[in-house]
Amino acid sequence: MTTDIRAESRPRSEGHTPDMSDTATGRTSGGLLHGLPWLVWRRHRAALTGGIIVTVLASAFFVYEHFAVVDLVQQYGSQPGERASTKFGNDFGRIFRVGAGLLTFLPAIIGLFLGAPLIAGEQEHGTIRLVTTQSVSRARWIVTTLALPLGVVTLCTTALSLSYWWMWVPARSLAFTGDWLNGGPFDITGPMLPAKSLFFAVCGIALGMLLKRLLTSMVATVVFMAAFSIVWDRVPAHLAALRHAFAPLEHEVLIASDAINMDSWVATADGTFYGIGTCLESTEGATDACRAKMGITQSVTDYFGFDQMVGMQWRGSAILFALTALILGFVAWRAHRRPL
Amino acid sequence: MSDQSPWAIEADGLGKKYRRGWALQDCSFRLPAGRICALVGPNGAGKSTFLSTATRLVQPSAGSLRLFGVPVSDPAVLQRIAFLAQDKPLYPRFTVAETLRMGRELNPGWDQALAERIVKSGNIPFTAKVGTLSGGQRTRVAFALAFGKRPDLLMLDEPMADLDPLARHEMAGLLMAEAAEHGTTVLMSSHMLSEMEDMCDFLLVLSEGRLRMGGATDELVPAHSLVTGVAAGNGLPDELSRHHTVVESRVTGRQFTALVRPGGPLSDSWDVQVPGLEEVLLAYLRSPQAPTLITDEARFDTPVAGRAA
Repeated sequence: MTTDIRAESRPRSEGHTPDMSDTATGRTSGGLLHGLPWLVWRRHRAALTGGIIVTVLASAFFVYEHFAVVDLVQQYGSQPGERASTKFGNDFGRIFRVGAGLLTFLPAIIGLFLGAPLIAGEQEHGTIRLVTTQSVSRARWIVTTLALPLGVVTLCTTALSLSYWWMWVPARSLAFTGDWLNGGPFDITGPMLPAKSLFFAVCGIALGMLLKRLLTSMVATVVFMAAFSIVWDRVPAHLAALRHAFAPLEHEVLIASDAINMDSWVATADGTFYGIGTCLESTEGATDACRAKMGITQSVTDYFGFDQMVGMQWRGSAILFALTALILGFVAWRAHRRPL
Repeated sequence: MSDQSPWAIEADGLGKKYRRGWALQDCSFRLPAGRICALVGPNGAGKSTFLSTATRLVQPSAGSLRLFGVPVSDPAVLQRIAFLAQDKPLYPRFTVAETLRMGRELNPGWDQALAERIVKSGNIPFTAKVGTLSGGQRTRVAFALAFGKRPDLLMLDEPMADLDPLARHEMAGLLMAEAAEHGTTVLMSSHMLSEMEDMCDFLLVLSEGRLRMGGATDELVPAHSLVTGVAAGNGLPDELSRHHTVVESRVTGRQFTALVRPGGPLSDSWDVQVPGLEEVLLAYLRSPQAPTLITDEARFDTPVAGRAA
């Protein structure tokens, strides 16, 4: 530890010339934040304040709409039917769709405009050599540079996710024709929105750090996010065990209006499943004969119940959080050990 | 305690290897505190690599480096050094005042009055965005940031390279005045000796990643003589190469010219002149096979005998 003996006798900041106004030096502004957090905040001030303002407005709007949705459900019921569905579609259809659309793209926006430039911007402009040669260790610099923006991302996306969830849940059977898995709600509520946002953000950060150029890393981040989304689309359906609902042949299999119909089968009494087209012959007689021969007696529907949704979201988020932690570790290690 | 170390820089066998090869190799010297030192060499000689290792931007692959007795691997050295990179990076969207605030927020020994004085003497408004400043003004703000840190060792990478002659003169004056007032050790790199010859009292010459020459300028130059005389046949007189160290020589017709480090009295039959600093420097850069010259003051004494020539 090297303490500077001269520091005691030095004219410190208090001793500045009186004709300098404090506002001109920025001494009184900034308030809460000091040291590295102030610098990181100042660098990303526009993006972070913009994000916080949008979050507050959007969350307030979702909360406000929640009460309107509850009113509608009390008046028309929460089950899909002609009156309730039409009324809901007219009053809220657009709000739900636009809200879901924006939140679906939010992780990509964060990855592109906050993640990719976070370190690549400093590398491209050379300011990384300015900031890492001040009196703060590189370890502290990388921790603050990562923690502050990612902390804000976590807070904002959590607020948006919770408020959208609160608006959507009362009308979950009406909105998106009850399809929470593919319609949007699965990806933008609960832990999924923060998880995906953080994951895309750190992917952008890591790509930026490796590529060192702002534009290149933004393009690479977009390509990566698009490719990842295509792969990730297949994942949610594997995050829980499918449930089966049975009914006699020729009867409709009944599942809850907020359950997701995944597949349909026909089955024998002892539980052997066959494809839905099995024994569909040209005449009814032939069909019946075939079914009798094979012992097919019931229809089956595979589905996910609404009560499975939160568990599936946490399992999906756990995968994303684990990947995020791995990439963060790599970024911190590399920033600490290697020249930037 | 490390504050008593009389050496601003002590390099012992310092080396840095990149994938393409050694950028800096077996570099051993020491720089006494309080000197204004020029780090000179052609492009790609390893100047920036050395400055990067001394500012903790890259980790050396070999050897050791101490600044004021503190190993460079210890983050505590950051408080004692300031670094001005070649392109003087600053955040373009920050105002001048915010740039100085950054210095204050990140450095415990920050001297706001000094930094403000440097900015004000250039008539730069504190509310101006850094991105709108001229090259000379930006350099002045970067200087203010570097000096406001109150470093014991200030390192500058090609500080004058992109400045017009007027700004160059102004910055040189500012640098010398502030360094003299605070007793700051200054190490600045350049591929042009002429622009720092008047400022520096210490010289380190790098070429192809190796240290070729090091020492106080008033010791280095008198150690050399520029000798002109009659050539022996097609080459140098035997006597010259036998008794003196020839750094560089040229034979034109029946006449030779040689830059030598005299090992004793030179023959009266030759015309002997005192070379300029630049002549000595160029001779070393042109002759990779010439023996390295490190003065006693600059030599890093290691227990291993027979290091620097």
